[in-house]
Amino acid sequence: MPCFAPPPTLAHRLRAAARRMAATMGAVVAVAVTSALALAALPAGAADEPGVIEIRTASAVASTAPVFPQDLKQRSVRLPDDWAESLPQADGPVWYRLEFTLPAPHVTPAPLMAAYIERACSTAQVWLNGNLVFSGGHLTEPVTRSCFYPQLVTLPPALLNPQGNVLDIKVQGSALQHVASRQRAGGLSTVQIGPHALLAELQARQTFWNVSLVQVISAMLVPLGIVMLGMGWQDRRSPYLIYFGLLAIGWAALSARLWWRDPPWDNATSEFGVCVGFGVLVALAIQFLMRYAAMRSTKLEIGLLVQCVLVPVSLALAGPERLYTATSGWYLLLSAEVMAAVTLYLRVTWRKGPDGRAEFWPMAFMLMGVGVLVLVDLATQHGWITLLPVHVLHFSMPLMFIAVGARQIQIFGRALQVAEASRNSLESRINEVTAEIERNFSQMAELRVEQVTEKERKRIAADLHDDLGAKLLTIVHTSESERISTLAREALEEMRLSVRGLTGKPMQVADALADWRAETVSRLSQANIEADWRSPTEDVHQQLSARAFVQTTRILREAVSNIIKHSGASHCKVRCSIGEHDFVLVVQDNGKGIPMELDGKLDRGHGMASMKHRAKQMQGQCLVESGPGYGTVIRLTLPL
Amino acid sequence: MNKILLLEDLPEIRAWVKALVTQVFPQAQISESARVHDALALISAERFDVALVDLGLPDGSGVDVVAALRDTQPEAQSVVVTIHDDDDHLFPALQAGAFGYLLKEQPREHFVEQLRRISQGEPPLTPSIARRVIAYFAAQNKPQERPQNLPHVSLTDRENEVLLWVAKGFTLPEIGTQLNLSRHTIADYVKQIYRKLNVSSRAEAALEAQRLGLFRR
Repeated sequence: MPCFAPPPTLAHRLRAAARRMAATMGAVVAVAVTSALALAALPAGAADEPGVIEIRTASAVASTAPVFPQDLKQRSVRLPDDWAESLPQADGPVWYRLEFTLPAPHVTPAPLMAAYIERACSTAQVWLNGNLVFSGGHLTEPVTRSCFYPQLVTLPPALLNPQGNVLDIKVQGSALQHVASRQRAGGLSTVQIGPHALLAELQARQTFWNVSLVQVISAMLVPLGIVMLGMGWQDRRSPYLIYFGLLAIGWAALSARLWWRDPPWDNATSEFGVCVGFGVLVALAIQFLMRYAAMRSTKLEIGLLVQCVLVPVSLALAGPERLYTATSGWYLLLSAEVMAAVTLYLRVTWRKGPDGRAEFWPMAFMLMGVGVLVLVDLATQHGWITLLPVHVLHFSMPLMFIAVGARQIQIFGRALQVAEASRNSLESRINEVTAEIERNFSQMAELRVEQVTEKERKRIAADLHDDLGAKLLTIVHTSESERISTLAREALEEMRLSVRGLTGKPMQVADALADWRAETVSRLSQANIEADWRSPTEDVHQQLSARAFVQTTRILREAVSNIIKHSGASHCKVRCSIGEHDFVLVVQDNGKGIPMELDGKLDRGHGMASMKHRAKQMQGQCLVESGPGYGTVIRLTLPL
Repeated sequence: MNKILLLEDLPEIRAWVKALVTQVFPQAQISESARVHDALALISAERFDVALVDLGLPDGSGVDVVAALRDTQPEAQSVVVTIHDDDDHLFPALQAGAFGYLLKEQPREHFVEQLRRISQGEPPLTPSIARRVIAYFAAQNKPQERPQNLPHVSLTDRENEVLLWVAKGFTLPEIGTQLNLSRHTIADYVKQIYRKLNVSSRAEAALEAQRLGLFRR
């Protein structure tokens, strides 16, 4: 299929892939490191430490007696004692009697001693030499759930004998069939006796891995889940965020079973709830994966819903006596479902091409990690491997969630950035378009004003011609008096020049000169006066306003009229020169000159006054030199 | 010059023009009209040698009469008699086929002189009109500005030269002297220029009409 988008450069792709890989690897490494740390903590028991003894055998008897029933038949057991194997039907309590001799103190004074019980499931009470020294909680329903809590029993020095100490431990627990997970089936681990400080450290470490870490990570899962829900709520196109948020919060809630030791309900209810909860979580996980891969199947959704209902129903039908069998079946099925969903998701993502691949590897790493954890847990449940003292699944699974969640936030953030960028570009585009529209609008408005003005000018001009012009024309051609006729004609010319001044645009000086030349030469030659006009014809680029053109035309016309009418000249010389800022027009004839009036001024009848007046109006001047017999020189200077 | 059409709405001016026409062509039969409508009726009824046409009339523009005369009686000479002396009025009249123009307020003797010259085949041409004609044909010669399929009407070098001289303000006799040509030859050039102006503008108009779908073929 042809691709029209420019392909991203290889370097760019590699960089992007490297970034994703780094993020993924970070998450995976974090999980791996914590797991490794946890496992590393395993063999670090204190048994090898000097001054610590580990008790691996005990006398056991199942009894509800308030003290160790010495009269009942006891059997010797090896510790750790797993009830699922030694007492399959027992729900406890089981009494254990351990006998020990204090290890020789290797420091003086003798340190405070303690007994460390890594696992007493569900809870225990401890007597030392017949004295109650420790109680882990309720030994009757609802029984305290301390399966994941290592216990440290301080051994008061006053009660200790140098030799022949007896430690009675009463363990209350549940038969394997009464719990949903092998980890919570009744049992007692080995017991270590040693210096309190040493064992306290051991207990703290074990508590950290089994409880505190889970608490911390679960506590992180809740806000993460809430953020995911919020994001999913905001972005309805990503419903998988909702599922993921619910999954994270659900897992955190279910993790409470690890540290909430005294729920107000009995063991059977707790176990029932855990199994039902897993059914729901698996449904959410599958929905998340399907939606994340942009797949949706109504059948699947209905199936998952039905399954969520079927889990409690089947457990109820199976009855509390077969809880473990039923839940094991369900766990197997749910694990298979998760694996199938993971496989399907990875398959679909891989097939999406380069984009899918980018998403594939991080998810593949994480999901494979999940798969391994699930398998390990399944193996544990079925007893193929012994109970690990640290439950990796409990904290690595949430870490996986956090990694996936971080990835989701990253994607969301990126989408947010993209949206922001496109919003910004859209905004700037809108601004541009708005500005352009405004510009166009104002241009159109200007144009319209110009058009209207021009139209109005033309209308006024036409009106003047039709009305005033026609009347003046009538006077020109019907008046008996030559003087009135001439006046009317002049008035008509005035009007026309005024109209031209009104409507005319600035014109080229060269064009104005051509017009003047044509008229002047034509008029003079018709009057049989030789015309000699010289003006620059090339390289004249200055402009003349319409009004200046009109006024100059009038002055020139008046001058030519005077020559024709009064001078009696046979020759007329016109010179025009154009400077930077002004132009000079000189009209010289060889006629008889202008006669002086009595007061020594030039004859006003020749219109000299009006010529000068017009020149002055344009900030120019009109000089007339004349003497009888010497002709006349009119020098007109006007600014450009 | 036997039959003359006089189109003028002002009675006094009409009478004045009629008197002058009678002075120039004493034998002529003059048909008078005050409206475009009446003038169109007259030219569809009879033939004229000369038509003196005012531009601004109560029921329209004299340009329509000039165009109609050009279409139906090409041999008739249309002369615009107007109060307007600006290119915006004169140029369209020349494009429509007017052969010359007279300004109404001219003194009697000038008017008579010009009318006589026009009738003898010497059409008037001012620098500003010459400039417009030059600009018009310059635009015609640019292929990208000329409508497609427009018959190419262009001026000869000589015609162009004459126009350039006129545009610079030289009179027709002066140009004749410059180019070493007779006064009549120069006048012929001017007539030819006016004719080409008309042919070109008519072709343009026809093309425009075709474009607007007025003619269906």
